[in-house]
Amino acid sequence: MKQHNTSAALALSILLSFGGLPVAQAHHSTTMFDHAQSVTITGVIKEVQWTNPHVAVFISGSIKGEEASVWLMEMTSPGNLTRVSNWTRNSAKVGDKVVVAFSPLRNGKKGGALKRMTLEDGRVLTTDIRAQESANLEETQGAK
Amino acid sequence: MGMVHQALRAVLTGAVLISSSLSYSQVGSKPGFNVTPSAKDWQDLAKLPDWSGIWNPKITDQDQQVKTNMPPWKPEIADIIKFQLAEEKAGRPTPLFVNCLPEGMPAWMLISHNSMEVLFTPGRVTMLGESDGNRLRRIYTDGRKHPVDPDPTFHGHSIGHWEGDTLVVDTVAILPQAIFAVSEAAGVPHNGDIHITERIRLVGKDQLHDELVITAPHVLTKPWKTTRISFRQRAQKFDIVEGVCLEGSFRPAKDAKGFDIYEPIPMDIGGNRTPPQ
Repeated sequence: MKQHNTSAALALSILLSFGGLPVAQAHHSTTMFDHAQSVTITGVIKEVQWTNPHVAVFISGSIKGEEASVWLMEMTSPGNLTRVSNWTRNSAKVGDKVVVAFSPLRNGKKGGALKRMTLEDGRVLTTDIRAQESANLEETQGAK
Repeated sequence: MGMVHQALRAVLTGAVLISSSLSYSQVGSKPGFNVTPSAKDWQDLAKLPDWSGIWNPKITDQDQQVKTNMPPWKPEIADIIKFQLAEEKAGRPTPLFVNCLPEGMPAWMLISHNSMEVLFTPGRVTMLGESDGNRLRRIYTDGRKHPVDPDPTFHGHSIGHWEGDTLVVDTVAILPQAIFAVSEAAGVPHNGDIHITERIRLVGKDQLHDELVITAPHVLTKPWKTTRISFRQRAQKFDIVEGVCLEGSFRPAKDAKGFDIYEPIPMDIGGNRTPPQ
């Protein structure tokens, strides 16, 4: 068993080494975020990065009981967001006032996986990629 | 015209008829060349099942199969997978796919969270994936064999044929570095000699099932069977648009002369943008 653990660690180190190349965004698990937790931030959108493979918004705002600061919110791809919740690149714009529920990074840094964004006009946008698992979403569920 | 000439012409005419009736079930008179499709070849596409639309994967089933249908890993590989799954659960997911190289085969079919479309043209089925400009499978259905010594690629060399409404695909020559993954955070390079057969068909009106049998002698003890499911979306707003994996590693900016340029975004080891602070 000990030998197996050593080989596991070795293989892992091989998989983890990218020869000093910068790590790019790509397709990855999201368990660096603590999905058991939900935190709410109220603030203003500072920047939107509507790009594959992951969309992000930066929010300047405050979490109850904490000082105001800028938080990074990660999401899935533009295509998935469109299917999940009718997102477009203009759904949430710089300057919009929003309330965002998110799962925070476990490492304590100011980042999170965005779960739900409520805009001032009452629109609610969600991000759960497992919520698109039926055929012909638009016809069966109608416009959300 | 002598009898010999007449006989010869009959033989030649017959040969042409046979060749034309075989059409794409067999590559025509010039082995090694792509045949010019005939009008009939284009018409014959209408006899194939309707796979139009956008297909998005059943991710919850991918999740479930990690628990119920683990590949028969060799013991030393099983230990790595177990370790990776524990790491993922503990919030330290192994960054298998964070360099923007294609997921490749078989990972694309097994663990993708993104959609694809499937195009039929004479002698060929083409799969195009979302969110990564390199996601593309060319499946030759013109009767050719695999090349004798193909260059390995991320998606391998695929040949296919139709058995009724089922597309049967055989894939070899996948780069040994391509990850054989069961989740975005659990998998190993297949290390070469992997062979994948697939039976892809509609189930009901709007589900596409891909039944895979994967033989990977360097990491598995025996072939592994699994089925992957996709859902059809016809709404035009879901059409697959360009998605370049590396684009997300940059943000738009202006240079000193006012040109629109990209500037790199700092990333953490997990493939996320580095939070501001």
